[in-house]
Amino acid sequence: MGVVTFLSVGVRFEANVEALNMVEVSGNYARHRRVPYVITEGGRLKVVYVPAVSGESIAHGYQVALAEEAKALGLPVCSYCSIGEFLKSMDEEHAAEKFDGKVPKLSGRSKKEELVSVVGEIESGIVRKCVVEDVGGFLYAGNPPVKRTSRFMVSYALPIKSVATYATLEPQLHARHARTAGERREGAAEQMIYYVETGTAVYGFTFNLDFAGVGVSSYSGRALVDDVKKRRLAAARALYRVLSSQGFGAKLSRFLPGGGAVAMVATLTERPFTVTSPIYDGFAESTRERLERVKATFGEKGYYFEMGKDGLKTPEDVLSAVIETLKKEGTI
Amino acid sequence: MVAKTMGTEVSGLEEFESIVRVLRFFAATRNYSFLDRIGNALNPETVEVALRDALRTFSSIYDASPADEKGLKYYEYEEGRRIRLPAKPSEGEVAAFLRAVWQDVGVARRVAIMAMSVPAREER
Ligand SMILES: [Zn+2]
Repeated sequence: MGVVTFLSVGVRFEANVEALNMVEVSGNYARHRRVPYVITEGGRLKVVYVPAVSGESIAHGYQVALAEEAKALGLPVCSYCSIGEFLKSMDEEHAAEKFDGKVPKLSGRSKKEELVSVVGEIESGIVRKCVVEDVGGFLYAGNPPVKRTSRFMVSYALPIKSVATYATLEPQLHARHARTAGERREGAAEQMIYYVETGTAVYGFTFNLDFAGVGVSSYSGRALVDDVKKRRLAAARALYRVLSSQGFGAKLSRFLPGGGAVAMVATLTERPFTVTSPIYDGFAESTRERLERVKATFGEKGYYFEMGKDGLKTPEDVLSAVIETLKKEGTI
Repeated sequence: MVAKTMGTEVSGLEEFESIVRVLRFFAATRNYSFLDRIGNALNPETVEVALRDALRTFSSIYDASPADEKGLKYYEYEEGRRIRLPAKPSEGEVAAFLRAVWQDVGVARRVAIMAMSVPAREER
């Protein structure tokens, strides 16, 4: 049996009054993201629109935490990722700092061998200099273009199916004050009123992390760095941090949601395995059964963690147990 | 199925002209999100929600735009580029459109197509 390198986490969290994902501001109205959702009602299928949080929003929060954890462990993070601007090495300008200003290029009359070697040089140069781009991937749109797929995957956070129709969206009136005394501008109102749509729901989302790909080339499959385990540890700790602090979503300054994780399951496997989506009731039992089947079929190792079972009372207990197991297995 | 949605019904879209005009305004200002949602809708609920959002946004823009001496409203969407705002669709036109969409969601797609085409004549 090999090493467990694939982590999958399913989370249900209750968020009362939040503005975790805003889209389209028109005038004084900021809209919460909402998505079509198929539900069964009285034996018939029906489309309803529910508040949602995009995976991109959660991924942003995760990468902010990853940059912090990596720096705390003394690992390299580039200047843009350090401040939470995940432009990644999108072009020559943004890739420059990884190569002391000289990004490798094709010579012109390019042969296939040259292409392969330059692409490899660019990927390894970026991965070595930035853990966020190592784990979160990047798309370098220069010559030649280089793509690194993200080692983590995250779903939309969607209201759980059984109570989706109880999810709500409501515009809240806010007032912003302008100066009244002295240099008040002509025509400026003393109060600007604006509306922010707030959502309330029990959301579910899934997060996968493939430790096997951290620090490893997308092209050759070879290790690009010698601190792979430390990088994996940073990736795991970042997930702990973001789930523990609910550090994702827009407008957290004044809309930090009331609530928190109400259910969580996690699995550790040798090869990709995704927990059953927490939007479905019985997702924990379903995950456990599916995992047992996979272990039996492939003769592989697999660990299962569930909040509320085996002494794991809190989300932090689950994530600590995951990290302990990864250490015991020699993954991190 | 396809035959039913062609021919006679296309000419019947004139009654939704004011809705086409609002969507055409968004196309002209390169805000395609409502148009795409209405044009790609697979069911009437999707059209309803997208139209509501489109009219909400249009209302914001309309109410915030100043009228000239003739009472016409213009919207400056880029530095130095302005466009005349169409009138808000009437309650009756919106109701008729939604009724038609609930009968055949393809009406929404055709309205979106019209909004992306060049108007046949100068609009009022
Ligand atoms: Zn970076």
